[in-house]
Amino acid sequence: MDIHKDHRDGVAVIGCDGRLNMVSAPSLRAALKSTIAEGGTRVVIDLADTSFIDSSGLGALVGGLKDARQAGGDLRIAGPSQQVLTVLQLTNLNRVLRPYATVKEATDGWSHA
Amino acid sequence: MAGHMPDDYEMAGLAVPESINELHDLLERVAADHPHLDPGDLMMFETAVIEVAGNVVEHGRPKGKVVYRFTLGVRPDRIVAHMREASDAIPQFSQDSADQLDESGRGLALSRAVLDEMSYRRADGENIWTLVRNLA
Repeated sequence: MDIHKDHRDGVAVIGCDGRLNMVSAPSLRAALKSTIAEGGTRVVIDLADTSFIDSSGLGALVGGLKDARQAGGDLRIAGPSQQVLTVLQLTNLNRVLRPYATVKEATDGWSHA
Repeated sequence: MAGHMPDDYEMAGLAVPESINELHDLLERVAADHPHLDPGDLMMFETAVIEVAGNVVEHGRPKGKVVYRFTLGVRPDRIVAHMREASDAIPQFSQDSADQLDESGRGLALSRAVLDEMSYRRADGENIWTLVRNLA
């Protein structure tokens, strides 16, 4: 998995390319922790190139969501594949991690919030 | 049926995180060998396999030294897999009631949700998981 970070209009965008499983989830968790610690409390996770997610990956997303909210921000997810969407629905996590179609949609909503 | 394509697959090794990616690769091979299978069925089956394997890696004892054997069969009406692992430990079952913001405890509930049958038994010092998804 390749994790890359970008900043757009005051929002930290973290891309996760590949499989987000127990091998790679700790790296995403660490990237989220450092991003939020550096003041990037509005975070979008770009899942457009995430082919697969398991419960460890979900745990990393939920951990990041909690950290971001504690720091006064929030975390959003964008562009999930069908597998990611299904897993979010089956675990009811789509209620707290509402998926946006694209990163742009996630960040646009923010600036107008 | 494509007679030249294998219907049975097997993999064995140490239950360490890296083995998870080898299982993903195996599932990709199954998909490539069986293009008639609905990608949605395979995707959900893969989700369950990875959760069960993750549970073995996480809770198998002695940690990092547990040997597992994974077999998978493609049948006309279903996909069946067995995960056997010679762990000292009985696997831990999550409560299926992870709070909305818990960071763990969703794995086995998720597996059950995507399978038509999921069972566990312990025999001869082995934990044996059976995973079945019926094909539409």
